[in-house]
Amino acid sequence: MRTGYTISAIGHALVLGWGLVSFSAKPFEVPPADAVVADVISETEFSQLTAGSKTAQQTSKPTPVVDKIGDVKAPSKVPQLKVADKPEVQTETAPPPAPLQPDLKPPEQKLPESKPEPKPAPQPAAAEPKPEPDPIAEALRREEAKQKEEAKKLEEARKREEARKREEARRREEAKKREEVKSDLDRIETALLDKRAPQRQAVTGTMINPTPSLGSTTGNAPQLLQNEDARLQAMLNAQLASCWTPPVGVREAKGLVVHVSFSLNRDGSVSGQPIVTNRGSNPLFQIAAETAVRAVLSCHFRLPPSKYDSWQRVDASFDPIEMFGG
Amino acid sequence: MYDRFRSYNFKIDLDRDRRSNAPLTRRRAVLLGAAAGIGAVAAFGADPARAVLTVDVNRGNVQPMPIALPDFLTGSPPDGQSARGISQIITANLRRSGLFAPIDPAAFIERISDTDVQPRYPDWRAINAQALVTGRATRQPDGRMRVEFRLWDVFGATQLAGQQYFSTPDNFRRIAHIISDQIYERLTGEKGYFDSRIVFIDETGPKDRRIKRLAMMDQDGAGVRYLTNGSDLVLTPRFSPSTQEITYMSFGQGEPRVYLFNTETQQREIVGNFPGMTFSPRFTPDGQRVIMSLQQGANSNLFVMDLRSKATTRLTDTAAIDTSPCYSPDGSRICFESDRGGRPQIYIMSAGGGPAQRLSFGDESYSTPVWSPRGDLIAFTKQGQGSFAIGVMGVDGKGERILTEGFHNEGPTFAPNGRVLMFFRDPGGNTGPALHTIDITGRNELRVPTPSFASDPAWSPLLA
Repeated sequence: MRTGYTISAIGHALVLGWGLVSFSAKPFEVPPADAVVADVISETEFSQLTAGSKTAQQTSKPTPVVDKIGDVKAPSKVPQLKVADKPEVQTETAPPPAPLQPDLKPPEQKLPESKPEPKPAPQPAAAEPKPEPDPIAEALRREEAKQKEEAKKLEEARKREEARKREEARRREEAKKREEVKSDLDRIETALLDKRAPQRQAVTGTMINPTPSLGSTTGNAPQLLQNEDARLQAMLNAQLASCWTPPVGVREAKGLVVHVSFSLNRDGSVSGQPIVTNRGSNPLFQIAAETAVRAVLSCHFRLPPSKYDSWQRVDASFDPIEMFGG
Repeated sequence: MYDRFRSYNFKIDLDRDRRSNAPLTRRRAVLLGAAAGIGAVAAFGADPARAVLTVDVNRGNVQPMPIALPDFLTGSPPDGQSARGISQIITANLRRSGLFAPIDPAAFIERISDTDVQPRYPDWRAINAQALVTGRATRQPDGRMRVEFRLWDVFGATQLAGQQYFSTPDNFRRIAHIISDQIYERLTGEKGYFDSRIVFIDETGPKDRRIKRLAMMDQDGAGVRYLTNGSDLVLTPRFSPSTQEITYMSFGQGEPRVYLFNTETQQREIVGNFPGMTFSPRFTPDGQRVIMSLQQGANSNLFVMDLRSKATTRLTDTAAIDTSPCYSPDGSRICFESDRGGRPQIYIMSAGGGPAQRLSFGDESYSTPVWSPRGDLIAFTKQGQGSFAIGVMGVDGKGERILTEGFHNEGPTFAPNGRVLMFFRDPGGNTGPALHTIDITGRNELRVPTPSFASDPAWSPLLA
């Protein structure tokens, strides 16, 4: 047992020791992270923010973030996806369309037949005017009855035809509606599809647009690229240059470079005391260092708060050699 | 197998019982050590490495430093005027230097009531004062006046300098100049020049009958004293660089004489009779000898004379006019004006004589060279095409710069710190000459107030 303990203890100690050593050897390098400004809001605030106004103008399509000017790739054409044809739904109210056709024909055929009959009918009536008035009258009566019958039949045929026409119109409408629904679905489908061309870093467009527009579906979080750093450096340089009065009693500007390290608060004020991190050989170095520290302390820095992590700590070097010609 | 299993379990139970009863076994120790180790690793807590922004600032803003100078306090009412006078003299000195911008007292927020406590820095930061001077003038029981001052760094929230001086009450002007020098030196790194005097020729009367008197005053124009009575024509006074002595030329009964005047003892003595002399001698840096030009026939050559023994040494022997010599601050070289090249130009020569090196090359005439007390520049008068210019050039002849141009500028003289030049300008016509100062960068040209017309200034070294 004791050997077991010993071995176990030694093994644990080795592992822990190795872990301690290996942990402290390498510094943990953190790459500059995306700085996204986030605020915590309640639900009511959110709905108020996104409520919008009914009377507001309709804005144009939101412009995407564009870093470079390049060919604008149009969204690729999405093939029309058809919704599968549904079989027609036949309801019972609509009479079957086929049998209507043959019905029309017989009354039409009958009509021309019935017409010549009344013509020859009065002739024999005229040929035999006296002896048989009753048979004429009967014939006339019979004619009238037939005509009435035929009129009725015509009416019915007409009605049936109208019904058929109405039926056709309704069907056409329904077909149209189905078509519309189909196209709507198509549109929705294409809208849901990702039209973006595969992009790697920057978005190209016709005009440079450095800020992502609100509501754009393709906007990116602000990235801290190399040129962002240079921009911050330029801003800081300009502001420090306007606040710095180099020492005046300078005969030789050699050896007067002053390195100052300082930290900034988010509002641009200096936190703590700037520290001069070097020593110079020039006898006026103390004066030069004081002018540099005074420049940092008296300056009102105006820097973008969204990039605060990049400019929180600054190492500035002040070199008057260019101003005094060395 | 079942039995074996059971016996195994039994064994473990026994062991567990034994372990739970033992106070600190090896396993427990290791566990504790591990926990401690993990705790230590967690405690190191690697700081999230944040990027540090580096900036290289190579250009600054050359502007006067805003400085606040509230009135000096006083212990006793009779000294109130002196105390206020001291503050005003210091304010005027600093403003005139062109390197400071005193803030209007009406803008002050805090009223200084005690010079021995720290001021309320936020009040002074609010008016953008970068430095603050507080002081007090009190009369001592023995009749002397004690003046003390403190110089504060407003943004750095520390005291930069503090001193106290004892003197007679009527000497408050000099104390004010000394304090001005202290402030100037602490903030710019350069030696000051306020505690010095100017000797010049005071001219009064109509243009055809000008009365010229030798006069001396503080560098800010106060305390004018006349050293001659005006009966004789006096010219070109020169100050010794190290002693408070002046040489000047006086045209008395026909022949020009060189006089030596001690401003502190008010003693005057004759250096000698020098027929044909046009300019006064200049002193060597140690003040023991003078260098001069003496005319012989059509030529003029340089001589050095010891003031005590009157022994004379010839320096140049050319068939040209060599005149207006001046020593370098270390006494090793002299610069002078010579027309050996056809036109008056500036030359440099070793103090013991020998070959001369030409410094100026131009179509104009260069005259009256003076060597800066810092040793880096030579100032001169340049005359050409009807205009007179005051300029400076390096001691190697390079970097010539004209500071001011016009009609008629002449006679530059350096302040003790080599940063400011004084010269006189005669506009001609019915007016007379006046004294002007200008910074060697060419900025901040100011007129020096004199009771009347003034010419031929010479700047003394620091009095202290």
